[in-house]
Formats: sequence, C-alpha cells, structure tokens
Amino acid sequence: MRDEIPPGTLYLLILKTLMRSGELHGYEIANSIQQISDDILQVEEGSLYPALQRMLLKGWVTAEWGVTAGNRRARYYRLTAAGRKQLQTELAQFQRVNGAIQRILQTT
Amino acid sequence: MDWLIELGRRMRQLFRRKQWEDDLAEEMRLHLDLRAADKGSEALARRKFGNAALLREQSRSVWGWAFWDTLAQDVRYALRTLRSNKGFAAAAILSLTLGIGANTAIFSIVDAVMLRSLPVEDPHQLVQLYLGNGPSKGPIATNPIWEAVRDSQQAFTSTLAYSPDRFDLAEGGESHFASGLWVSGDFFHMLGVPALRGRVLAKDDDLHGGGRAGPVAVISYAFWQANLGGDPNVLGKTVSLNRHKFEIVGVTPPWFRGLIADQSFDVAIPIGCEPILHTDQSALGHRSWWWLRMMGRLKPGETPRQAEARMNSIAPEINRATLPAEWSAQGRAGYLKRSFALKSGAAGFSVTGVIYKTALLTLMCVVGLVLLIACVNIANLLLARATSRQREISIRLAIGASRSRVIRQLLTESLMLAVCGAACGLLFSIWGARLLVRLLSTKSNPLDINLSPDLHVLVFTMSVAVLTGLLFGLAPALRATGIGPNQALKENGRGAVQGGTRFALGKALVTGQVALSLILLTAAGLFLGTMRNFLKLDPGFNPHNLLVVQSVVPADRIPRQLRTALFGRILSDLRTLPNVRSAASSTMAPVGHYTWNQDAHPEGYQAQPVEEDMLVYLNRVSPGYFKTMETPLVLGRDFTDHDTLGSPRAMIVGEETAHHFWGNQNPIGKTIGMDEPGRNNVIYQIIGVVKDAKYAELNEPLYKTGFVTSAQDAQPNPEQTFEIRFDGDAEALIASVRPAIGAINKDAALEIRTLDAQISDSLVQPRLVALLSTFFGFLALLLATVGLYGVISYAAARRRGEIGIRMALGAAEGAVTRLILGDVALMLTIGTVLGVAISLVAGRFIKSLLFGLEATNPATLALAASVLGTSAILAAYIPARRASKMDPMTALREE
Repeated sequence: MRDEIPPGTLYLLILKTLMRSGELHGYEIANSIQQISDDILQVEEGSLYPALQRMLLKGWVTAEWGVTAGNRRARYYRLTAAGRKQLQTELAQFQRVNGAIQRILQTT
Repeated sequence: MDWLIELGRRMRQLFRRKQWEDDLAEEMRLHLDLRAADKGSEALARRKFGNAALLREQSRSVWGWAFWDTLAQDVRYALRTLRSNKGFAAAAILSLTLGIGANTAIFSIVDAVMLRSLPVEDPHQLVQLYLGNGPSKGPIATNPIWEAVRDSQQAFTSTLAYSPDRFDLAEGGESHFASGLWVSGDFFHMLGVPALRGRVLAKDDDLHGGGRAGPVAVISYAFWQANLGGDPNVLGKTVSLNRHKFEIVGVTPPWFRGLIADQSFDVAIPIGCEPILHTDQSALGHRSWWWLRMMGRLKPGETPRQAEARMNSIAPEINRATLPAEWSAQGRAGYLKRSFALKSGAAGFSVTGVIYKTALLTLMCVVGLVLLIACVNIANLLLARATSRQREISIRLAIGASRSRVIRQLLTESLMLAVCGAACGLLFSIWGARLLVRLLSTKSNPLDINLSPDLHVLVFTMSVAVLTGLLFGLAPALRATGIGPNQALKENGRGAVQGGTRFALGKALVTGQVALSLILLTAAGLFLGTMRNFLKLDPGFNPHNLLVVQSVVPADRIPRQLRTALFGRILSDLRTLPNVRSAASSTMAPVGHYTWNQDAHPEGYQAQPVEEDMLVYLNRVSPGYFKTMETPLVLGRDFTDHDTLGSPRAMIVGEETAHHFWGNQNPIGKTIGMDEPGRNNVIYQIIGVVKDAKYAELNEPLYKTGFVTSAQDAQPNPEQTFEIRFDGDAEALIASVRPAIGAINKDAALEIRTLDAQISDSLVQPRLVALLSTFFGFLALLLATVGLYGVISYAAARRRGEIGIRMALGAAEGAVTRLILGDVALMLTIGTVLGVAISLVAGRFIKSLLFGLEATNPATLALAASVLGTSAILAAYIPARRASKMDPMTALREE
C-alpha cells in the first residue's frame, strides 16, 4: 500500500531532503523521498519539477549543471539561506497542524 | 521587496526561454532514463512520472509567462486575420488615424495653452490675483494697486506683476516689433528663473524712472539667438525699444518663455521704466489705467482660500489708497467695494486660452464625436465579420476554449487596430497641430505655442486608443461569443428565416451614427452660417481698397502743440500720392479692437436706469473721414477746416446715438456735454448724423457712437491713424506711403495694412471653426453613410432566403425595396429626432461662437437633416435595389 503525500507538503519534503543531502538532482530527490519513507510515500515523480521551478523562482534553491556518476549532464539543486529559513517556517507550520490533528485524534 | 527580486528572476528567465525549455526537457529525460534503467521498463517509468507535456506546461506557468505567451499568440493570430482582410484593416486604421489624430492635435493645443504647467519653480503655488466687484472681477490692475499690494500684502511669500506689450525695435520707419514684457523687479526671482548669462532683474532696477543701473533689459534665449546671433559679448550692449536705449544685463535660459503660453517673450524691462517710454503721461501714478497682471506665491501649507481671506482683509485699505479721485460718486462707491479673488496660476495666462477657449473646446467635442462615429463604424464592420466568423468561433468554443479566452483574442485584434491608428494618429497630430496654430496665427496676433508632445499628450493618445479599441471591440466580441456553440453550429446551416434580433445591435449603432452625424452637420451649418453672416455683413463703411496706416511719433521730441500740425502735413502729403482718391485721419483705427468710450451728458435727456445708458463710443477724426470711409452722412454737415480750437466744439453722432438721446427730434443743433481731462462738461454741438458703422469689432452690438474733430484736440496724443482710399495696387501705394511720411518725420513708427487684410485676420477664428467643422461634418457624414450601406447590404444578404420566399410567393420588386427601406426610414427617423434634440441642447454652449443666427436656427437643422436623409436613403437604396433584383430561384436553391 502506497499513500499519496498530503497536499502542501511536497515543498517541505524537498527542502528537508536537500537540507540533509546537500546537492541532488531531480531523480535523486524523488528516490530519496521514497527510500527514506520506506516506499510508503508516493510522489508522482514529474510533479517535482514544477515544484522545483517554483522554489527557484522563490529563491529557496539554486540550480547548477553537473555530471552524474553515469557521466550524464544533470541539474543539481542546493538550498539557499532563504530556503533554510523557509524549511524552518514550513516545518513549524507542519508540526503545529500535525500536533493539532493528533490531539483531536487522541481525545477520546 | 521580495516581489521585485522575483520579478527580476522572471524577467531573466523570460529572456532565456529557449535555454530554459531545453534544460527542463533534458532534466526530465534524464529522470525518465534513469527510472527506466532502474525498473527495466520505459512504460513503467513514464507512468510513474506522469504527463510530461502537462508538467512542462505547469513548470512554465510557475514563471507567469502564460500571459505573454497568450498575448504573443493572439497578436500573431490577429496580424494574420488582419492581413487576410487588408481592405477592412486599412479602412479601420485610416479612420482611426484621422479620428485619433484630430483629437490629439486639438488636445495638444488645449494642453499647451490651458493645462501645461509653467516651467518654473513650484508652479502649483502660483496664483493669479483678480480684483473687482462680483462677476466683473478682472485680472488687470493699475500700477498704484500693484504697488499697494506689493507693499502691504502678507498673504504670499512673494508677488509679481507683469504686462505684455510690444516694443518697436526699429530706429525709424516701418516698425519691427519685439514681444515685450513689463515686469516687476522680483519677477524672475519669484518664479525661480535664473540667468543663463549675466543677471536677471532685481528690485532696485524697478524704481520709478529707471533703477540704479539705468534702463536695463533682460532678453530671452530665443531673441538672443535670432536677433543677436547668440553674440557671447551681448552683456552691456543696448537694445532700442520704441527709440529708447536699454542696456542688456542678462539672458534667460531657453526653457523659460514667459508667463504667456501662446506668445513667448523677447525682452523684459522693469515696470519702473515706463515713464521713459511714455513721456506724455506715465501710467505709474495713474489710478484708472488698467494694465498689470498680478501673481502671488502661496506660503507653504497655505490654501488659496486662506490667502484670499488675508488679501481681502487688506482690500478696503488698498481700495481707499488707490481710489481714482476723478470718478463719479457712483463709480467711487463701487470701487470701494472691490475684493480679491485667487485663481490658479500654474498654467500661466494665455490669450488663446481665453479667446479661443470655447472654439477649442467645441472643436474638441467635434473631433471626439467624429472618433465616436468612426468607432461605431468599425464596431459595425467587426460585428458583420464576427457573424461570418461565427463558425470558427463556435468551433473554438465547442472544443473547449473558454468564452473569456475567445473574447480576449477578439479584443486583441481590436486593440491592435486602435494602437496602429493611434500611432499614425500621433504623427498626423504633430503636423495637424502645427497647421492649426499657423492658421490661427495672424500678423497682428502671432501665436507661438510650444507644441512638442509631452507626457499629457502621450497619455491622452494612449488612453484614447485603448478606449476606442474597447469601445468598438467589446460589443462585437461579446456578441460573437454570447451564442451557445450548439445553437451557432446549428444555425449556420442557413435557416430560411433569420431572426431579426441578430441585427438589432447593428441597427442601434447606425441609429446612433445618424444622430451624431446630424449634430456635426448642424454645427457645420451653424458655423458656415456665422462665416457667411460675417462676410456679407455691412460694416457701415467700405472695407475694400482702404489702406490703414497707424503711426506713432516720438512723444518726447514732438511736443503736444506741434502734433496737430504735423499730422495735418502728413495727411495733405498723403492726399497727393498717386492712386489716392481721398485720405483722412483718426485717433482710433476703424474696427481696430481698441475703444475710447465715456459717459455723455446730452441736452434734454432723462437718464434711464439701463446699463451703459449714457456711454458713447468716441473717435476723433479729420474732415473727410466719412467720405474716405464711405460712411453716408445722413443729416447736417461734415467737419471742415473751419472747425478749430477757436470755434465752438462740434460733434457728429451715429444714428443710434441721435435716436437714443433725442428720439425723433432733429438732433442737429442739440448740445452734448463731455468730460475732458481737467475740464468737466465741455459743451459740444451736434452738426451732423452719420449712418451707424462698426466701431471696434465686427461682431459688436450696436454702439452709440460720436465723432469729434482732430483740430479741436487741445492735447493730441503722439499716435495717429491714417485712412487712405486708393485705386490699384496696395503694395505700390504702401511703398510710396513709407517715404512720404518718413520725409516729414523720420522717427515715426509705422504699421501699414489694408482694412481687408485686417478684417480677414479678425475672422480667423470663425473661418477656422467653420472650415474644420465642415470638414469633420462631412467626414462624419461619409462614415455614417458607409456604415449604413454596410449594414443594409449585410442585412439584405442575410435575408436572401426570406426575400426569396416572399418573391416566390408573389411579392413585387417595389415591395421588397420598401421592406428594406422601411427599416432604414425607421433608423433614420429615430436618429434624426435624437440628433435634433441633442443639437438643441448643445447649441447653448456654442452661442458665443455664432454671429447673426441662433443655435436653434430651424433652416440649418432642416438642411442638415435633409442632407443626411438624402445621403442615407441613397446609401440604402443600392443594396435594397440589389436585393429586389435577385432571382428567387437562386436564393431558394441555396437553402
């Protein structure tokens, strides 16, 4: 069983992934999210790309072309200072919402 | 500021679109390849990835390029459709060029003379100071008033006064005038205008009789360049003004043209130097010579209202201090009640703005209406096209284009037409505005208006373009997309009988065009009538073959007691010149725009409480004046050489004067008392009555006129006008007049013109208004006729099926023609009624531009309506006739 990721958390996942791993290209980001969530979180892989473009526009990430292990050109994304700040914001917001939902669910 | 940085990123990417697309595609390809290698199946990789095209589209939309993409698409598409419809596009752009161009041209003049701020320091703090009673508040003050205001006011940070004048640069002979300004010492400092060279005037240049540095002048950059060749050593040189030397102390920067928007200044001299030029009697101490305009600069943070209140608190004091002692008790009481009013001075003052204000605004309305008619025409054409494009649009709607998307595309087309029209119109207007100013400019009132297009004009043109584009594009676009695709596709299978409602909008538009055209034709008719009335007006004298010579002799060199004899000698010499039938002289030039009037005290007349009851318009003339002017003497005798200072004072009056004061009694021998400088109620005896003639202007009301004779003038002025009735060529006569006068007084300043030319100059405004309104009236008529023709042909073509059935069932040709013309008659009737109603209401606003006829003139309205009606019926008859000639079988077979 694979689950769709909750709406609005895609940015959070990408930011967090980049925070941990430093520099990744699109395919690596997708793989990373799936592996760490033990294949539970299902991302429609292509939807990473519009999200990454939006993050480029917002200035949360920068992109640079490099070469993969297999010797192919790939675009590597890296967090900026603004991106790190955004991660904190999104994280805090996610936890606030998550905490609230948990409290509701735990109340008997 | 984040959005700004984002905008920067968006723009950067926008310029690297191709690269961006390639990068994204490569990135996605890598992803798919790696996934395919991982899963061992390309199909699986694709499924996991999602719709790549859609994702690319989403990525693109992140950058917000969609708007530009669509725009570029729409523009390309619009260009293609317009190119495939060259005739339509050309007609639309041409009519918009004319419409928008004419609007911009007139607006740029309105802008230059009424709206544009002066290029001085904080022009919005400047106010014009008006003084007077109630509605008769004028902008003009006497020098004692100005000095009292300057010395006692506390409402402004500073004040200035100025008066436009013209100064004769010539040393003798025919005058060569410079546009001059009398200015107060503070003038340039108050406006914040520095000197480009030398210095500007200072307070101590403006002392009575000339300042510490003597008579000094500041010249404009244009005058420096044009008349002094930009001489770098100009400072310290002198310029001769009315034969008096003034030292040039400074040159103003090129951007300063004075405070008068339609007449840039050449030379500015201090008000205090006035006695140098006017040695007979100075205006500086004179309490009833009104010649100065005053302006104040508001204190920071103070409103004009507050300043006005402060000024009015000192008004009684100023009134008392400057009261003209010689005025009647009633006049003095009125004078003491005068108060101040403030008006914005930011745009300066312009004669054009005042004289031609109504004319300019009327022309603005005229060209606005023409543009409106052009818009309606294009709307109609678009409407017709939209109907023939119905299938294309229906298909677009059917395959999922949103209504707003299609409307946007259609509007892009309209706006492109409008923008093309506006661009051409702007070029056209630059030429048009210059032409207009040249046509309005006359020798006696040369206009010099700065017409370089500024931001106002550009904004105006762009707004007009967008507005017109929306105006003619919106209705057809809404119309075309308002029908459900299903219905439209179905209907396209040529239903036998089309719903009449489909043309309702087109018909309404044509009706509106008829109404607007009628208004314009009526206006053209009224202005043409005005011009005709001016031309066939009997001025009471014969203006043809009459030369008018205005002369001024130097007052300081020719004392008063010698002047009458000097002018007499000139007159008798002029009479001996070849081709001169007769000659005479006067102090006031005939219809020369200046007046000399005063209250008379006629014998046995009971004063009536009517305005100007006793006011008589006077002139002082030589014997033979009436013969030369060819004004008939009705009763009594003309002046002769026997009427001298030693004999009883004689006066000849106009018929109106005689009738007003003495009714049906014989006026000959009656007496009339006149106040003269130093002597009140000098008794004059009436020796003759002449036919009434125009006095100062052609369009003046009937004045009471009176004539006294030059020989009985105890204090002659240095100015005299000679009237010469001649045969043959005016130029040859002018060439002989100049040396004849020069031989007697070489310093006399002369201005020579024919009366015909002078009258023609004074008719420049009515002529121009008549010309332009006729041109635009017929343009409107043409547009409306073409519009009508188009709509009727189109409607007839769409009704082929219906008409075919009617004819097959036995309708006669005439009946079909009548069927179609009936429609036209209805549009025409409604349009005419509307147009007449609006013309009658709007007529009130052009009253001041009309002469000899009312705005409600029924003959003009009837003529306009019949011209319009005839053209409309003719335009409609052609398609109606064509429809009635068709073969019903052909029409029905098409079904």
